[in-house]
Amino acid sequence: MERLIVLVAALPLGSALLIQLLPHHPGWRAARVSVACTTLSFLAAAAMLWLALTGGDSVALALPGTAWGSLLFDPLSTLMMLVIAGISLIVHVYSVRYMAEEPGYARFFLLLDLMTAALLVMVAAGDLITLLIAWHLVGVLLYFLLGHDTRSRPAWRYSFWTLLTYRIGDLPLVLAAGLLHHAYGTWSLPVLFARITADPGSHYFLGMELLDVVGALIALAAFARSAQFLLHTWLPYTMDGPTPVSALMHAGIVNAGGFLINRFAPVFIHTGGVLHWIFLVGLVTAVIGSVLMLTQNDIKKSLGYSTMGQMGFMIMECGVGAFSLAIYHLIAHGLFKGTLFLGAGGVIHAARHDDGVPKDDLYTFVVERRPARQRKPWLLMAAITLAVPVSILVVAHLLIAQDYFQKQGAIVLLFFGWVTGAQLIFATYRMRSQNLWRLVGLSVFSFTVVVVGYTLISHAFDLFLYPDPAFRRQIYAAADIDLLRFDILVGIVTAVIVLGWLLTYYAERNGGRRQRRTGRGWLVFYALVSREFYLADIYASLTRGLLQAAARLNVWLRWA
Amino acid sequence: MDAAIYLLAGLFLPLFPLSMAFNLLLRRLRRPAPRTLLLLAWPQIGLALAATAASPPPDWLLYWALLTSALYAFRALTLRELGLWNGFIASSLWALLWLTLARPGAVPPALHGLGLSLPLALLGLLGAGLEQRFGAAYAGLHGGLAQRLPRLSGVLVVVVLAVIAMPLFPPFFTLLTLTLATAAAAPAMALALVAVWLLWSWAAARLLQGLVVGPGDRHGAADLSRTATWAYAAVLGLLAGAGLYLLGGLA
Repeated sequence: MERLIVLVAALPLGSALLIQLLPHHPGWRAARVSVACTTLSFLAAAAMLWLALTGGDSVALALPGTAWGSLLFDPLSTLMMLVIAGISLIVHVYSVRYMAEEPGYARFFLLLDLMTAALLVMVAAGDLITLLIAWHLVGVLLYFLLGHDTRSRPAWRYSFWTLLTYRIGDLPLVLAAGLLHHAYGTWSLPVLFARITADPGSHYFLGMELLDVVGALIALAAFARSAQFLLHTWLPYTMDGPTPVSALMHAGIVNAGGFLINRFAPVFIHTGGVLHWIFLVGLVTAVIGSVLMLTQNDIKKSLGYSTMGQMGFMIMECGVGAFSLAIYHLIAHGLFKGTLFLGAGGVIHAARHDDGVPKDDLYTFVVERRPARQRKPWLLMAAITLAVPVSILVVAHLLIAQDYFQKQGAIVLLFFGWVTGAQLIFATYRMRSQNLWRLVGLSVFSFTVVVVGYTLISHAFDLFLYPDPAFRRQIYAAADIDLLRFDILVGIVTAVIVLGWLLTYYAERNGGRRQRRTGRGWLVFYALVSREFYLADIYASLTRGLLQAAARLNVWLRWA
Repeated sequence: MDAAIYLLAGLFLPLFPLSMAFNLLLRRLRRPAPRTLLLLAWPQIGLALAATAASPPPDWLLYWALLTSALYAFRALTLRELGLWNGFIASSLWALLWLTLARPGAVPPALHGLGLSLPLALLGLLGAGLEQRFGAAYAGLHGGLAQRLPRLSGVLVVVVLAVIAMPLFPPFFTLLTLTLATAAAAPAMALALVAVWLLWSWAAARLLQGLVVGPGDRHGAADLSRTATWAYAAVLGLLAGAGLYLLGGLA
């Protein structure tokens, strides 16, 4: 039955071959073949997940007599295959009509099928070589999908940025594979992980622990694929590609970084230092992505930066040891971001006639930024703002595991949950409302539903993806830092955030009297953010410099 | 004696500045048949010469070869003429054959050489076809080939991908073998290899964008015939299959 996993990946590949070999005029015939094969692939992936959920053992299916070319049937691969096949199916169905007027209709479905097959093989790869090949192919195919409109030079310019960044991410993975094979003498992932578990710390490379080097290289590959800070500039600019491709990219492809870190979890449990760097990079990306998102006036670019922020959060979750939570996050993000992209065109079209925003209390508060004049006792409101979210979070997490608060990573995530909840309530009670208590009550109720749902589902993911409790503890333990340093850090960050809230409260209460003094600083900051920290300009000027140097060399050497 | 042999072989397995001879020769050949022959035979002569040496190539020669490879990959970034681009990438690819001589694996260097040369020969033929149609195979001159000549563009894109060592073509497995073999033993070499690999992708993307992308003009050139397209597709399919079985270790 596990052999069905081969079919999941083979069906889209077969569809691509059929489209190429059979006459595809009219184009809808190609679309039909493609949608039918993707539907079958989705059903097979669902069957695979069901099998894994009902206790199917992990197994690697290899071609007989070969060192590579194997697929892995395990919880992670079956879950990711279903996600990819599902998102791909939605994108296929959407594209049938959306792309109907575009030239190269059959070619689009062919590329979409090849991309689906490459993604499915990537998540199910049972050995390093298969993983490397699929990892490479995803970048190349994305380049051609984003540049589907061969008349559009901007589309190709930005798809080129994507290709180059993805290539930068491909190469560390090749080096990591080389080092792992040299040290442990196998390409097979299950065998490799078993050997690492049996003998984790006996290999060194250039005076460093080999697994630390490998972990750093894998993390670098994940950063490039998931648009982490400094390797993110391609993401918001690839909006000239077809909308279905944007949806597939933001919902499925860009999440590959989180998948890769999960796939190599047995490596990362021995690389605590690398996990701390992963956390830091994720945190910086989450903050910068969110700040850049808020300054965009173009809906698709704003969605691009929103994805960057979410990817930062996903990588950060890996950095604190919440690996399975990152998988849940990437699935949830994939579904909502895919929906947003597929709906963006319709929203833009509708907004040209009517913006559809009701001029109610929410609009007054969010858009016109006019908070309510009525005031409740501030001490009571502050207590509610700070205490209610933390109580909900603590109770929700105690429901799933008594030892939850012994994990530092869990406390960091709890902290983020608390900040979000407190921010929500802080914003809510300043809104104009006829019945403020009702509004606060509803907000708290929504927050409770989200927290309990999130906690239970992420716990279920934890149990499914990492059934061994000792391994789960090891992942969290690898991300831990010295307890005293951790407590001091949490204390400082809490103080900074609470101080920020107090300053905001004070500034709004005094009607912006200090605005003139601070206004200039904010303007400079806004200019910096609106130019996206000049990163794209720096990269462009570096590129120009390199090209000029190459041209000069050619002239000196007389083109020989 | 070995040093003399290696220096002579450096004409054929390009070592800069000896490599300039090959590029000048390639430029002088105008007809497709001798060009194809040159692209297929040139590195084989070098490999045959190097095989007569008693000792494996010394380390300094390997670093020289890597520098040559990097130099030509870097210089290819700004090239717009397809024939010239082909020659530079060939120089960059073949220079890496020195590494297969120094670290002989299960696959003989001659097979690696053939695997690298075949896509280059196909690209040479396509370049000749473009010159026949437009007078020059020059990126940015006409542009928009995908609109005007979709079959030729499709084949051209796949062949360029094969040349720059994309999966699943033979050059990919050669590069993969070399990088994996050097990653632990000679990390600096492995880093240089992946940097060269990255430069090829960059150069290829610039070339393709100049040739294939754009609105296209009203030049009435004929597209590749269906038969020729199928022939190219069959050769590329065979190449990928042979790459998998002979170089990819699936045999």
